[in-house]
Amino acid sequence: MSTNEHVHKKKLTDPPKTIKFKIQRREKEGADAHWETFEIPYRRNLNVISALMEIRKNPVTADGKETTPPVWDMSCLEQVCGICTMVINGRVRQSCSALVDDLLLATGGNTITLQPMTKFPNVRDLKVDRTRMFDHLKQVSAWIDLDGTYDLGPGPHISSEVAHERYVYSRCMTCGCCLEACPQYSEDQYIGPQAIAQARLFNMHPVGKAEMDARLNGLMEENGIANCGNAQNCLQVCPMSIPLPRAIYETNRDITVNSLFGWLKK
Amino acid sequence: MAIKFSTTFLLRKLHQVTGIVPLGMFYFVHIYTNVTAMNGPKVFNDHVQDIHDIPFLLFIEVFGIFLPLAYHSIYGVLISGEAKVNVLTYPYARNWFYFLQRITGGFLFFFLLFHLLNFRFGLIPGLNPTPVAGHAQEAFQIVSREFQTTWIVVVYILGVLATAWHLAYGVFLFAVDWGVVIGEKAQKLTIRAAVALALVLGLVGVNAVFAFVRPCGLLPQSLCEAPKASRSVTTPARF
Repeated sequence: MSTNEHVHKKKLTDPPKTIKFKIQRREKEGADAHWETFEIPYRRNLNVISALMEIRKNPVTADGKETTPPVWDMSCLEQVCGICTMVINGRVRQSCSALVDDLLLATGGNTITLQPMTKFPNVRDLKVDRTRMFDHLKQVSAWIDLDGTYDLGPGPHISSEVAHERYVYSRCMTCGCCLEACPQYSEDQYIGPQAIAQARLFNMHPVGKAEMDARLNGLMEENGIANCGNAQNCLQVCPMSIPLPRAIYETNRDITVNSLFGWLKK
Repeated sequence: MAIKFSTTFLLRKLHQVTGIVPLGMFYFVHIYTNVTAMNGPKVFNDHVQDIHDIPFLLFIEVFGIFLPLAYHSIYGVLISGEAKVNVLTYPYARNWFYFLQRITGGFLFFFLLFHLLNFRFGLIPGLNPTPVAGHAQEAFQIVSREFQTTWIVVVYILGVLATAWHLAYGVFLFAVDWGVVIGEKAQKLTIRAAVALALVLGLVGVNAVFAFVRPCGLLPQSLCEAPKASRSVTTPARF
């Protein structure tokens, strides 16, 4: 099942009158989680976010209990910012591109389950804190140093093959799907595929190459690339279809040649 | 910039290497010796004797087998403890393989402990009391006596199959972890080769288990007629 399924639109021929949303709630970080079920009337072309907006208008549970409106993150609403990522029917994906019709067709019922991602600190309800991912980008120096006092002129030429490959890695939106689905990722035990792919992106750049050692050193820290377990769930869940295992294995080769056997060049 | 390795990184790399170079290589030698049992007790015992005659045997056994095995299995169990298994939520083939590598590893931890104590040392109370080490000419009889008990045969068959899979898939894991295999197409080919290797090692290994119960194992006995006459003539006398 890919998150791009909405491209091939499927029709729900006999829709239910109402849809139930079973949502995991949490008052604040550290508080106990509990479930609340909401029921809203079905209408065509709902996605999970528009359904959540509908619930927010009148936050009363299915058994008539008044409650607080559910909290979630959203921004672009077109699956390019990654912030609305949550666990929908047990599987991690963006809620903006999760169409209610598709979800109902997949389950055959009329209940949709929403949970926050489990591998990040849960701020409230469906909202998580993904600061860790940005710390990981710092750990691997996922940028190109270009500071200087004079104009360096145009940069080196990049072949179209390299440009194509880099473009795919540049599509990463730091959504966290790969980390959520990774059986090796929890807390800070493993840096995870996203930061490795970004290190690869900048190692492939002719100017960025100059800082390759710093990136590889970052990836050889305690939580580094060697903790990858090759389950390759990242490849399956990535909404941008980034070949994350490939980025990991290319970097493994760089580490083997450059770091582990670098002394053979001396 | 100076290259810095963290302890975890080096331990992981060592774990990957020990699985292939000493242990994987040793497994091929081991399975070859087992397979010779198809040609009868004498052939098998002679091969066990040949191993006894290797120079620096104790050195090779300790540094080539026991230490790498202890490291690979103990660190492997620690790595398995990190896994947040999610095969039911994300039921993809490679996720199952990830899970299976840890399951087979955990099983092999106990199986190899049992196997070593049972045959190498003969120390398990109530089971075989004679260590194969030092008793090469009784090796076949020790194993076949042990294999009269059904549960022991079942345990050894499971052990052989788990080893075959763990080693063959481990070859794939080594190839990607060291950046030998990179692309999706190359990964697919390598996995196919690993599955083929697992099948060969598994089938040959299981047949070798049965070779201690019945001549030639599960195969027709006509395949295994030992060249008795020529062997006795051409074998040079030991000196």
